[in-house]
Amino acid sequence: MVATSSADVAFPEKGSAVTSILKKPSVLPGFGLTLGFTLSYLGVIVLLPLGALIAKASGLGWYGFWGAVLTPRVFAAFEVSFGLSLAAAAVNAVFGFIVAWVLVRYEFPGKRLVDALVDLPFALPTAVAGIALSALYAPNGWVGKPLNELFGLKVAFTPIGIAIALTFVGLPFVVRTVQPILQELPPEEEEAAVSLGATRGQTFWQVVFPAVLPALVTGFALSFARGVGEYGSVIFIAGNMPGLTEILPLLIVIKLEQYDYAGAAAVGASMLLVSFVMLLILNILQHWMRSRHAR
Amino acid sequence: MAIQVSGITKQFGSYRALDSVDLEVRSGELLALLGPSGSGKTTLLRIMAGLESPDAGSLQLNGEEALGLKPRDRQVGFVFQHYALFRHMTVFDNVAFGLKVRPRAQRLPNAEIKRRVSELLELVQLGHFADRYPAQLSGGQRQRVALARALAIEPKVLLLDEPFGALDAKVRKELRRWLRKLHDEIHITSVFVTHDQEEALELADRVVVMSQGRIEQIGSPAEVYDHPSSAFVYEFLGQVNRFDCMVEGGLAHIGNGALAIPTDGDVRGAAIAYVRPHDLGVTPAVGGPGRVSGIHVVGPDARVEIELGGLFLEAEMDRERFTSLGMALGDSCSVHIDRARVFAR
Repeated sequence: MVATSSADVAFPEKGSAVTSILKKPSVLPGFGLTLGFTLSYLGVIVLLPLGALIAKASGLGWYGFWGAVLTPRVFAAFEVSFGLSLAAAAVNAVFGFIVAWVLVRYEFPGKRLVDALVDLPFALPTAVAGIALSALYAPNGWVGKPLNELFGLKVAFTPIGIAIALTFVGLPFVVRTVQPILQELPPEEEEAAVSLGATRGQTFWQVVFPAVLPALVTGFALSFARGVGEYGSVIFIAGNMPGLTEILPLLIVIKLEQYDYAGAAAVGASMLLVSFVMLLILNILQHWMRSRHAR
Repeated sequence: MAIQVSGITKQFGSYRALDSVDLEVRSGELLALLGPSGSGKTTLLRIMAGLESPDAGSLQLNGEEALGLKPRDRQVGFVFQHYALFRHMTVFDNVAFGLKVRPRAQRLPNAEIKRRVSELLELVQLGHFADRYPAQLSGGQRQRVALARALAIEPKVLLLDEPFGALDAKVRKELRRWLRKLHDEIHITSVFVTHDQEEALELADRVVVMSQGRIEQIGSPAEVYDHPSSAFVYEFLGQVNRFDCMVEGGLAHIGNGALAIPTDGDVRGAAIAYVRPHDLGVTPAVGGPGRVSGIHVVGPDARVEIELGGLFLEAEMDRERFTSLGMALGDSCSVHIDRARVFAR
């Protein structure tokens, strides 16, 4: 599921690039070749597996399909997966923005190291992250124990634990999409705002933030998509109780282990549909924001 | 509002951008800060606006010390070279920005803001563009929006940093003329930075020529052009012939004694002489010391290049005079110079 959800994000982008080539002839030849390659590549890499998924799911028939999807357990898993992915993406949007801001705006010793650290969740095998997180946040873990004793807060094997794992894997997406935009932001716009009488708060909220917002939405969408498809880091910390802390990808694996291939395909297809609609909305939102002030 | 700059010094690392600069900007005048890049002119402007703070010196706005004031308390309008318009706001919102961010107690009612912005947009001839975004405007239009935005807060001083630098030649000329007209109407104390001498000489009431963090000369355009006070100003303003000479007894000898020119001042010995091309007289003369080595006739002017004792000089005259002289490439000629400015080497 990881591959399919990130491909969903890339797909509308590629589509718009193709139409802009159609409108404007480029000095570099090879439009037919590259378009053909792009389409067949996307067809083989993205559409073929998705098509197979839908074909498998459609084997159940209309009623069979809805019968497999419309169960309390699948519903609960939808809620866990999408709800916590949204929450984690929202947390990442706020704190990822701050990380990007600090990395762009300030000079401090060890900055390059911190900058490199941001990419670690990309590189680390997710299972390793999951095991490390669950060891940390388990009731007898370094962080889990004091949290439990002082605040009575249980993190591991609860939805909070899942949200923490999803925040961990999603952070680089926000930082890496916001960072270049902040870097390019001309300081003159802020200076103009200040010389026109704006306070620091007004300068940030009315000048800087709106300029970064489209990138922030992209980062949010990527982080969210990653969260929905995430498996490895979550299953160790989640506790995986059906109806409470069971995520959709795990539910699919469970169905597969029970040889319920069509049922797994049905859940997968419905998940795909919901992801696609949500990412489409985010993309439209972004397109609308960008088109207003394209340079 | 008058501006008084005294002893302003600014250092960036080991580079001294401004070296104890003193300057008075008179109320209501249009002043140009002219200099090559790195001369400190933009830094000086930014210090006036409060976007940069100096290491030493004082800045008075209308007789009151202003260095401690935040940019927004200085009542200064600033126009940037690359417009710095807020790209996610319409033209209207850009111009209204300075009025809308005021504290609630000082804020005008919305209807009043609307009226004022429309008025300003009319003033900069962009009344029909209120709903456009900056990306949908040309460079000249954007700069006029930036100007309207700066004027909206009714500043006491208008500071413009290379306001025409990013525009093409034709638009630049139009906008220059338009700004002069605007200044004649509203008489706001204005300081603009430029590296274009033509722009400074045409537009400003007074020109401040800067070099390497210091002021070289202050004066009216005619003063600085006709009576440059230093070798730098001579070379920076307008076309000029520059050559090595030996000064003896009030005469500058150039081209290994091919020509002796009267000078003023008390420079003696090895020196550098400056002569404007239009102060250089040329007449055809068989056996004369000069030789015509190049002719460029474009428009109403003719530029003639003359070789004189190993030096190459440029003379400029109007086309009719050039035609009446009847000179051709390779002809011999004599060269006549009334007076040369000489600076010690």
